[in-house]
Amino acid sequence: MINVKQLTKNYGDRCAVKNLNFTVKSGEVVGFLGPNGAGKTTTMKIITGFMAASSGQVCIDGDDVYEHPLKVKSKIGYLPETPPVYNDMYVKDYLSFVAKLKGLSKNIIGGNIDYALEQTQLQDVKGRLIKNLSKGFKQRVGIAGALVSKPPILILDEPTVGLDPRQVAEIRKLIIRLRGKHTILLSTHILSEVQAICERVIIINKGEIIAEDSLAVIAKKASVASKFEVDILRKEDELQKTLLNTPGVLEVERNGQKFYIQINPEQLSTESLTKAIVNSGAGLTQFKPSMNYLEKIFINLTTSSDHKEL
Amino acid sequence: MTSILNISMRDFKGLVFTPMFYFIASLCAFLLSYSFVRNLIDFAYSTSASQVAGAVKYSIHQIVVVSHISITNIILIFAVPAITMKLISEEKKTKTYDLLLTSPITSGQIVIGKFLGGLFTSLLLVFISFLYPLALMLFTKIDLGILFSSYLGLSLVCSAYVAIGLFCSSLSSSIIASVIMGVVFNLTLWFLSQGTVYSESDLLVSVMDHLSIGDHLFSFIKGSLKLSSIVYFLSACGLFVFLSGRVVESSRWR
Ligand SMILES: Nc1ncnc2c1ncn2[C@@H]1O[C@H](COP(=O)(O)OP(=O)(O)O)[C@@H](O)[C@H]1O
Ligand SMILES: [Mg+2]
Repeated sequence: MINVKQLTKNYGDRCAVKNLNFTVKSGEVVGFLGPNGAGKTTTMKIITGFMAASSGQVCIDGDDVYEHPLKVKSKIGYLPETPPVYNDMYVKDYLSFVAKLKGLSKNIIGGNIDYALEQTQLQDVKGRLIKNLSKGFKQRVGIAGALVSKPPILILDEPTVGLDPRQVAEIRKLIIRLRGKHTILLSTHILSEVQAICERVIIINKGEIIAEDSLAVIAKKASVASKFEVDILRKEDELQKTLLNTPGVLEVERNGQKFYIQINPEQLSTESLTKAIVNSGAGLTQFKPSMNYLEKIFINLTTSSDHKEL
Repeated sequence: MTSILNISMRDFKGLVFTPMFYFIASLCAFLLSYSFVRNLIDFAYSTSASQVAGAVKYSIHQIVVVSHISITNIILIFAVPAITMKLISEEKKTKTYDLLLTSPITSGQIVIGKFLGGLFTSLLLVFISFLYPLALMLFTKIDLGILFSSYLGLSLVCSAYVAIGLFCSSLSSSIIASVIMGVVFNLTLWFLSQGTVYSESDLLVSVMDHLSIGDHLFSFIKGSLKLSSIVYFLSACGLFVFLSGRVVESSRWR
């Protein structure tokens, strides 16, 4: 459905996105994960036809965004980083304006506005001036605007950024409700958000894709934790030595009687690790997985390249 | 066409129902009332004077209405950029620009819609100004043909200012910068013919006269609808709307 080929974008001589290749299939919910400045917004602006790529191609249902902009744009609902709402309009008038902008015919506008209001649960504020709404509500009005044409594709740029935790939870619930109704590409720099909402994740850093996996695969790996927090009662030095000699243990950090153990789950199972600790007779009192696989790749992949530069 | 009207109606409402516009409109009404009354007094003096001396009689149109229209024009030179400044700059600032540019409409439709929105708003000021000579009809006889042709001319001048204001607004995301540019542009077009007073070249003089707004407006005020003047104003609008469209389009290529 969305097909990105060799996409490159330069701002002047600064390269924001380099040779991106990925596809999003119809009905999928894909998370576009990366730290700030990774190039998420840039990529989305090109997919939505806001701006042109320096080179490469984006196709929606086989139509090039650049060659058939109007056809492509009518299939996409887009929520930019800042919700594009007019503060001087009433929620309902705004949605009706957006619906007309999307070229909907008069007889379906009413129904579509009701759909957007219902999905975003904005019925109660539809007569309010947008200026007077909270940030979370403005965000929802923005999402309603993206939804009002019932587009097959939804592109949401950091939909929860800058909201308080309750509003974040509401927006996530809202997006989860939209699963199955629209193909969704959503960007975020928060890992748990991808885990909560998406089926597949594309991790991007410094304008390049560094990992791409379905969340089912990741979930399996994620259940295999790779870092543990261990509390013991005695024999700290001995345990540290044993652990460091165990194949598959990558790193042991010690803070008094607390250990942080990093393992490679492919070499060493959690079971063998616990066995080794118990057998050492150190008096295990707590054993807690502290970081899962996805977090680990995210942090490793996105920070290691920073270290190299420093 | 529906998308153009959709945009212009939104902009019209967004421009008119603001404290800024109320302020501009009341200031406009205040200045016009003041100058109109003064013109009437002048006219009263001049008619009584001409009765005594048997000098040339001027009509009320020539004394009162003509200067009323030139005052309105001066107000428009400043007021129209203040109205149109928001058309594109504001959308860039509040990021609603992203919505327009990712909607299935062309850059041309966007700028034409915005031009019309700004034009409808600015014509409200022309309408306010029109009420004054209209009110004179209660007391005296006025040549309606010449009045209408004057106001048609003024409306065309106004639309040229709107197109210029739109263009300036598209150039910058700062509303202050776009007002200043707009006023400077308008004044330049107005004073273009003044610069040629000492020029030797007849060609230059006639080109400058043709480019400057003044001569064209005066032909309307004298009651003659010249095709060349109508074409002049329409092409000025077309040119600046077209340029705004190019600027909007070019922002996709940064
Ligand atoms: N308009 C612009 N002009 C110049 N550089 C830009 C512009 N927009 C973004 N960039 C740069 O491009 C890179 C990617 O930015 P962006 O796509 O906004 O990242 P993200 O959305 O992932 O945080 C950043 O390094 C940013 O500084
Ligand atoms: Mg971003």
